[in-house]
Amino acid sequence: MDLAIAGLLNFTNFDVDQLFAMNDDTNPIMMLIWIIPIIIFVFYGQRIQLYITSGEIKKGIKKLDSYSAESRDQLLKYVKTNFETKPDLNSKIDRFLDFFTIMPVDMDPNGIVDKVRHTVRSREDYTRQHVKSLSPNMSELEISKVQTLLEIASSLQMIHKIINHMFLTAKKQNNYPLILPLQMLLPFIMEQAEAMKKAIPAFEKEQPIGDGIGPMVVGKMMLNTEKELIAFQTVVSKTTFENRNLLLLKAEGPASTVGRPGDALENIVSTNKLDAIIMIDAALKMEGEDSATIAHGFGAAIGGIGDEKFQIEGIATKNNIPVFSIVIKQSVLEAITLMTKDIANQADSVRSQVYDVILENTLENQTILVIGVGNTVGVPQ
Amino acid sequence: MIFSKKKITLEYTVEKCNNCGSSTQRKFRKGDVLFAEISKCQTCEGTVCIDKIFGETIEQ
Repeated sequence: MDLAIAGLLNFTNFDVDQLFAMNDDTNPIMMLIWIIPIIIFVFYGQRIQLYITSGEIKKGIKKLDSYSAESRDQLLKYVKTNFETKPDLNSKIDRFLDFFTIMPVDMDPNGIVDKVRHTVRSREDYTRQHVKSLSPNMSELEISKVQTLLEIASSLQMIHKIINHMFLTAKKQNNYPLILPLQMLLPFIMEQAEAMKKAIPAFEKEQPIGDGIGPMVVGKMMLNTEKELIAFQTVVSKTTFENRNLLLLKAEGPASTVGRPGDALENIVSTNKLDAIIMIDAALKMEGEDSATIAHGFGAAIGGIGDEKFQIEGIATKNNIPVFSIVIKQSVLEAITLMTKDIANQADSVRSQVYDVILENTLENQTILVIGVGNTVGVPQ
Repeated sequence: MIFSKKKITLEYTVEKCNNCGSSTQRKFRKGDVLFAEISKCQTCEGTVCIDKIFGETIEQ
């Protein structure tokens, strides 16, 4: 038995002629059948892979092109249907779609957040002015909606341009390694692009989106209270709960805006002594996690480019205010499209958990700020 | 791809009475806004408001 195994494991006992099929009785055609592909793959393997991968990427680019065109057409149709417009509407919108933002240089990171904030806000202001110029009879609510639709169309066009550029560069150079990162990134980019395209109807119809769960929770708490504009497109109201003072903050709905919670917090702490901040926001779920699950944490729960988070963290640190956060998990698609039933059904549960956090972490007569973070489209207060 | 089903999203509005808590679900209509007062409750005379607006995706 041992000898048999030893015989099987003896790798030196083979016939070279037999291995390479070089015997006289070998069919030369059969030999060519397996040698030629090897030669082809050695010399042209990368190019073949490039062609195969190119096919997949081309399909993706075609889709991106159609998303970009559809979003532009939907925007034009929406503006033309709902407002009196000027004859140069198409050219004005096309000019804006090619609009770009140059981020500040970060070689010296000192003061970079202020620079980023200035750049981003300047762009927002410019966009708003640009939208206003499309039609003189547009309300602030409509301006915010058209502004969002314009940003979606502009982002989709930018994504298409960048991906197309990367693909054509790789093809031009016949460079397979150049196309690899594109192949790896494309599924994620397509997911984002599809989500943006599917988000358009919700913004047009002024419906709440998944990201609006925070404002939805706080908005309901704000009902029947006196609202005050505390910062640009941001409202605050006062109420009480179990002998505690509650300040409720959210973006001013039902417009499509996230408001400026950082500026609002700065104004609030200048006149109030806060004992706790509770932030409610939507958070991206991990793969495998259930959608609409609620999670509690510590720290500023706010997305975006980071300037608002930086401002809130700075104020909280300076004034020694603990920041509690409650997040509702969801996918990218759920976050920017019409709110799903599961997420909407969690609103009451989140509200009761906010009250639990207040009771567990604060004392009577203390002041607590509750911030509903997110886009408040379709969510009034 | 050939066999993938088309997905459509149905939009719904849930109306709820602030007093007795009874709720009804209907198709979303243009102009529906969260928390908007809709009518008086038929059972308790309380105020019926829009409580939720959501979408359900189904495969066709």
